[in-house]
Amino acid sequence: MLRESHTAVVARNERWQGEAATEPFEAGWASEAIFFLRALAAEGPTGEGRAHVQISPDGMRWIDEGTAAPVPDAAEGIAVLRVAHFGAWLRLRVTLPAGATLTPLVTLSLKA
Amino acid sequence: MTVTLQDLRLADPRLSRFDPMRRIVCFDDFDRGYCGWTQLVGNYEHTLDSMTASYAAHTHPQLATVSHWDAGTHGGVDGTYALKIATRPKRGIRSTAIKRLTFREAGPIRLEFYFTFKPEATELRLSETDVRSVGFLYDLQTGYEQNGLRVMPHIRFLNAEDGKHVQRWQYKDETTAVREIGTEGKTATHDHLAPFGWKDIPGGEQKLCYNEIPTKINWHYMRFDFDLATMRMIEMQCNDRRYDLAGIPSIVMPAMRNLWCMLNLVFFAEAETDKRVFLYIDSVCLSGEF
Repeated sequence: MLRESHTAVVARNERWQGEAATEPFEAGWASEAIFFLRALAAEGPTGEGRAHVQISPDGMRWIDEGTAAPVPDAAEGIAVLRVAHFGAWLRLRVTLPAGATLTPLVTLSLKA
Repeated sequence: MTVTLQDLRLADPRLSRFDPMRRIVCFDDFDRGYCGWTQLVGNYEHTLDSMTASYAAHTHPQLATVSHWDAGTHGGVDGTYALKIATRPKRGIRSTAIKRLTFREAGPIRLEFYFTFKPEATELRLSETDVRSVGFLYDLQTGYEQNGLRVMPHIRFLNAEDGKHVQRWQYKDETTAVREIGTEGKTATHDHLAPFGWKDIPGGEQKLCYNEIPTKINWHYMRFDFDLATMRMIEMQCNDRRYDLAGIPSIVMPAMRNLWCMLNLVFFAEAETDKRVFLYIDSVCLSGEF
């Protein structure tokens, strides 16, 4: 059997300010994942923001997994967050400083 | 002893829970992966801002183990995984999953699948009226040599509305006006799942097993027969009940310039409260009489 592989677009063209997160994503079948956080547009000091991978026991309660990266500071910047051994659920949490608006495209690359 | 096609299928535990027509077009067992089911992204040109908001709200389908905080993994009809269509936590919002095919023979086709649905278990109560509806549709267009129609049969199970546990099958034969997108004259859209125009299927009340807490699910069988030659519904069956659909219309509009022989399958779920709604599908069998 080939290894299962899937690319999910889990946020697209939203307007993020302050605290934001992607919708919960179930991927217990996967053993490795990469979040690509691409800025379709970036206004204000988005580069001072942080993106955090979160994991969950039930898809409702979220804990920082420990992997984090700066948010892109300009349009077409891409942050990369690699994780493995994450259980069944994943999401990406982003914190942005006052005055920053990020228009994201979040791509989740998964592999069994 | 003569072994028939039906005998062979009944001897195969993967297929024995279905009654396919002669040729199986696809059999999607989600223990083998996504099987071509994906996110239904809205149309756009030049900018994503041109996408209709209700389409932009669609989420990406998931391969789910149907796991819950109180009892762990539920699993599928067989095996571990099911396809999960999840809405965002907002009243009236919907989500979908789509599989895009074309047809080679304009004749009868049969869609069969097992499904179940629940809201996100954020409360310690049954929450049986938090799912507005779950449903399915075909997005079809006749062949270029046929009569130039785009036809979209829509069926939903209206589970709840305004706090009432309705539990009734409905159809839809209306959509919004077609809106041209962009400047190149190549892309258009309409919101066929816009929340208006749903009508009751005669005799369409059905009490489905819903169980007693928000984390216990039971799988339901569904069969939907449609004729691609006449572009008319024929019949459907959910568990022990059959519904004659011969007089039930679909959404019909003039053919579009780039969709000939389209055979798209869509599942959808709608939220009744500000809570995520999950539609689970475990195995889909599409077959045709050719």
